[in-house]
Amino acid sequence: MTRALTIATGLLLAAVLGMGAYLYILRRNEQAGARNLPDTRPISAPVAGPPSRVTFYLAYDDPGVVRAQEASIALPADPAQRGREILHALVGEYVKRPSAHELPGGADVKDVFLVTGDTAVVDTTPAFAEGHRSGVFVETLTVASLVKTLTANLPGVTRVKILVDGKERETLAGHADLECFYDVVTVEQLLEQLR
Amino acid sequence: MPWSELERMFLVSGFSLLDRSGDRGLLPRNEKRETRKRGGASAAIVAVLLLLLLVSAPSAEEKQLSIYGPQMSYSLPVSEHNKQEYIALLAALEPFGNVSAGVDGEKWKLSFNNLEAEFRRDSNRGKVAGRRFGLPAPFVLEGNRGLVPLRALPGILGLMLATKTEYHEAARRLFLGGAATHFTTDVREGGLSVNFSAPVNPLISTEPGRLKMTFTRDPVVSSAYILRLENPLVSAITFSENNGRAELVVQGRVPLLAQFAAGGKTIDLVPAPSQAQSAPPAAAPGTATAAVSVPPPPTLQSLAAKPPFVVMLDAGHGGDDRGALLSETLAEKAVTLALARRLRSELQSYGLSAVMSRDADVTVPVEQRAAMADAARVTVYVSLHAASLGRGVRVYTAMINSASAKPGGFVPWDAAQAGYVLSSRALADIVKAELGKHEIPSSKLSAPVKPLNNVAAAAIAIEIAPSGADVGSVNAAGYQQRIATAVAEAIVVGRARVEAER
Ligand SMILES: [Zn+2]
Repeated sequence: MTRALTIATGLLLAAVLGMGAYLYILRRNEQAGARNLPDTRPISAPVAGPPSRVTFYLAYDDPGVVRAQEASIALPADPAQRGREILHALVGEYVKRPSAHELPGGADVKDVFLVTGDTAVVDTTPAFAEGHRSGVFVETLTVASLVKTLTANLPGVTRVKILVDGKERETLAGHADLECFYDVVTVEQLLEQLR
Repeated sequence: MPWSELERMFLVSGFSLLDRSGDRGLLPRNEKRETRKRGGASAAIVAVLLLLLLVSAPSAEEKQLSIYGPQMSYSLPVSEHNKQEYIALLAALEPFGNVSAGVDGEKWKLSFNNLEAEFRRDSNRGKVAGRRFGLPAPFVLEGNRGLVPLRALPGILGLMLATKTEYHEAARRLFLGGAATHFTTDVREGGLSVNFSAPVNPLISTEPGRLKMTFTRDPVVSSAYILRLENPLVSAITFSENNGRAELVVQGRVPLLAQFAAGGKTIDLVPAPSQAQSAPPAAAPGTATAAVSVPPPPTLQSLAAKPPFVVMLDAGHGGDDRGALLSETLAEKAVTLALARRLRSELQSYGLSAVMSRDADVTVPVEQRAAMADAARVTVYVSLHAASLGRGVRVYTAMINSASAKPGGFVPWDAAQAGYVLSSRALADIVKAELGKHEIPSSKLSAPVKPLNNVAAAAIAIEIAPSGADVGSVNAAGYQQRIATAVAEAIVVGRARVEAER
C-alpha cells in the first residue's frame, strides 16, 4: 500500500511540475509576444499616401439637408487610419467659422477602430459631445453625416458606433442615441427623407 | 381562517416582464417551436374557447365614471352622443338623497332635496340650484332620462351638493368633499408594505411577474408614477388611473403573496412559498398566514379584454436636464411641459386618457420614460421636444431598419419598437396631415431619438421649432395651442389605425 501510494504521489508531483513548467513557457511566450506588439504599430504619425477620392456627406442646418461632396485628400493605406483622417477632415469643416453646421471648437475624431469586418467604432473628443448644440434635428444631422461619410468611404463597413472620449454615452446632447450601433441602411433611409 | 381572508391572498409567479434583455440568450423561435408542436393544436383550441368565453362575457372595458364621496363610492356607465361623453344626472345624484325628474315638453326638470336643476333638449343652457348653468355640449333627452355632458357633472354636483369637487378627467374619477385615500410604500429586505390612510379593498389580480391592485371603490390617489427598486423581491411599483379606477402594479422578481393587515389599511407583499413546499411560510405575528392560490395561466390575462386606449405624453427633459437653451431665458424643458399640458387637455376634451411622464419640473431618466410607457401599456407614446433650429414642427419615428424587423423575428429589448414601427409611421403621417390642415409647416423623419426604440407602442417624437424669426414663439400660447389641437386631432383620427396594429 505504501509503495503504491509513493508511486502515485510521485506521478502526481511529476505532473504538477510538468504543468508548472508548461505554464511558465506559455507565459514567457505571451510576454514576448506582447513586447513584440508595438513593433507592428507605426511609431510616427501615419504617413499620408497619394491623394484619394473621398465623398463627404456634409450637413447643412439650413435647409436641413445632408449633401454629398467629393474631394481629393492624401490618405494613409490602413483602413482604420483612413477612416480617422476622413472624419477628422469632415469635423474640421464643422469646426470652421462660419460653418453650415457648426460644431464646437475642440470637436474632433480621435480614433476609428474596425472591430469586425462590417463594424467601425468612432471615438470622439469630449468637446464633440459636451459642446454640441442640443436638439433632435441638429444632433441627428451630425450623426447621419459622420455615419454616412465613414461607411461611404470604407468599403464593407455598414455599422458604426460612436464613443465619446473612449466611453459609451447615452445621447449626443440630450437626444440622439449613442448607445446603439448605427446601421447604414437606416441612415440612408433618413437621408432619403431629408432630400 | 375565514374565506374572505383566503380570497385576499394571491400569488405572483414567473419573473419580471421588464427583464427583456434576458431574451437575447434564448433559442431562435423556430427551434423552440419544434419542441412545442404537439401541444400546439390543443393550445389553439383552448385559446379559441377562451376567446369565445371572453367575447360572450360583458366587456370589462365599458366606459365608466367613479364618484367618491366622503361616505360612499359608486360607479356609473358613461354613454356617448356625438362623440361626447354623457352621464345620467339622476343616477349620479340618487345615492345622496331624494331625487326625482320629469319631462315637460322639451324641458327636463330634476328635484333633489330642496334644489332644482332644469335643462332643455339639445340646448347648452340650463339652470342648476337657482343659477344659470352652461353645458359644454347640448343636453340629451332619452325618453325620461336626462343626460348631461360628463365634463359638466363636477360643476353640477358641486352646486347641488354644495361641496368641493375634484375631477380627474382622463381617468373619469370624481372626488367629492375632499375624499382621498393616500398611501406610502415601505420597502424592506423581506418585502414591501403599502400603507393606506384608510382601509381599502382592491381587486388583486396576478400574472407572471406582476401583482395588480385595482381600486374601483376606494378613492386612492397619487400622481402617476413608476418607482424602480433595487430590492431583491420587487423591481418596480407603478401607479396609474384609468376608466374610473386606480391601479397599483408591483413588478416582482420572485413570486409574491399579498396579505391584508391593520384592518385593511396595510397590504404586505411577501415572497410566496415555493409551490412544492407544503408548509405555509413563517408569518409575522398578528398577520394572517398564507394560503396559496395558483395564478391563472398567462393566456387568460393576455386574452383579457382589449386594454384601454391611453396616450402617454412625455415632456422631454426636466429637473436637472434643462434640454436645449432656446434663448437666454427660455429652457426647452419648460416649453415641452407647457405643450404636454395643452395636449393633455386637448386629448381629454375628446374623452381620451392621457398620462404624463412628468407634470412638474422634475428629473426623469430617459430609459424610465420608456419603462413607464410600457408598464402603463399605453397605446400611443408622444415624446415632446423644442428647438431653435428651423421652422414649424418635425415629426419623428424610430430609426429602425424595417427590412430587418421581420414579423416573428427575434426582437431584443432595445428594439421593442420594431413591432410597432408601421403604426408609428402611420400615426406620424396623420400628425403631419393634421398639422397641414392647421397651416403649420411640418416634416416627417426617422431619427435616433431616445427612447423611441424602447417603446412597445405606436411612438412618435415631436420637435417644435419657431413659427417665425422669433425663437420665443415656441413658447407662445397661440402657436402651442394650434399644434396641440392638430396633434390631438391626429391621435383621434389615427386611433383606429393604431389599435388595429396592436
Ligand atoms: Zn429635447
